[in-house]
Amino acid sequence: MGGFWEILGRELPRFLPILLDGFRITIGVAVFSFVIAMTGGLLLAIGKMSKLRPVSLACSWYIEVIRGTPALTQLFIIYFGLAQYGIDVPGFLAAVLGLGLNGAAYVAEIFRAGLTAIPDGQRQAGLSLGLTPVQIFTHILVPQAFRLMLPPFCSYSVQLLKDTSLASVVAAPEIMFRARILIAETYLSMQIYLLVAVIYLCVSIPLGILANWLHRHLHSSKTARA
Amino acid sequence: MDGYWTYLEQWSPELAVAALQTLRLTLLSFLVAAVLGIPICAMRVADNPALRYFTASFIEIVRGLPVLVLLFLLYFGLPTLAPDLRWSSNACAIIAFGLQGGVQLAEVYRAGLGAVDRGEKEAFKALGLTPFQGLVHVTAPQAFRVSLPPIGNYLVGLLKDTSIASIIAAPELMLRAKDLSSSSFMPMPIYILVAFIYFVMSYPLSMAVRYAEHKTAKA
Repeated sequence: MGGFWEILGRELPRFLPILLDGFRITIGVAVFSFVIAMTGGLLLAIGKMSKLRPVSLACSWYIEVIRGTPALTQLFIIYFGLAQYGIDVPGFLAAVLGLGLNGAAYVAEIFRAGLTAIPDGQRQAGLSLGLTPVQIFTHILVPQAFRLMLPPFCSYSVQLLKDTSLASVVAAPEIMFRARILIAETYLSMQIYLLVAVIYLCVSIPLGILANWLHRHLHSSKTARA
Repeated sequence: MDGYWTYLEQWSPELAVAALQTLRLTLLSFLVAAVLGIPICAMRVADNPALRYFTASFIEIVRGLPVLVLLFLLYFGLPTLAPDLRWSSNACAIIAFGLQGGVQLAEVYRAGLGAVDRGEKEAFKALGLTPFQGLVHVTAPQAFRVSLPPIGNYLVGLLKDTSIASIIAAPELMLRAKDLSSSSFMPMPIYILVAFIYFVMSYPLSMAVRYAEHKTAKA
């Protein structure tokens, strides 16, 4: 097996910059999808709790349908499906949209669990102090719910980071995509995928540890991500 | 719109077969994960600190990787080192999902065991049961009840994640859909149909999980 590490050592200066450049795109996909997921998730959570029946039903069904189907299928619908009608979505955008719209359904449930975990007495106390519903929401509910929601959001980011690897199948030039190109040139699939694994772990393990730590310190076992 | 119905008749039988393959892949991966989770959990709570830390790191590493990386390491990477280890895409998928599920379920089992009241453990000791008897007859059955909802959630996630196996061409629903869409040039209706099939398979399962969650939350 001496040859294996020898080759890896020799090729490392060439592989690493290419893979790290791909990882930059990976992080980009993750960050943009995260923003879409958080915004969409908050809107969906508020919508699902709405007293307007059509709104709450529509939001519930969006969440159920998205959570009931694979992210890969959703990506393919956006990337290959829309192309059938002449709408060519670039790979990066398709990945961000797909993972963002998918994540919104999961994030919505985190928001809802966090917001509904606050006892109603808090809201009533706000009302009796003469606060408006918006003030109650921003000054009383959100700060308390935030503590509950932080650990599941952290777990969600780890999951999202790993899911960005799917972007390679819609030709977003992220790390898995770059790895495949390098392998087509060199046939060194084991070395290259091991490098890729190490790069992912450099981010996902610290994030995972942070999630565990938050979970222990904010003791919010109620809002664990499904 | 009329045209789609003729296609639907043509696609449905093929997709139905592929859906069964997805179910089989899910079930086999689940079995591997459920069994593998037991020794991993045992090693994770072992008295030997070296073994405990080794297992904890192993869990973090396997859990921190995208399953796609595991699939590629097994399917493309291993044969370049040892040509004997050229497994079928289906086998690689079962191993990769089984391994990742194993570490996930090990943590679920551990949480379940941790949730059992300490008094129960003291009680079986007082009754003169050996630690093993106590685990099998007292602790494990109670832990199992607590673990049921997270195990169910894992199963729902797994069912959808098996679609990723299509990337290494393991025979399942998503791969069939890809083949059909490249031969018919109609990806949209096919992928919508496939999404519907996944939904029909996963929704009842997640309803059952929610029911179980509701029950355990009350108890």
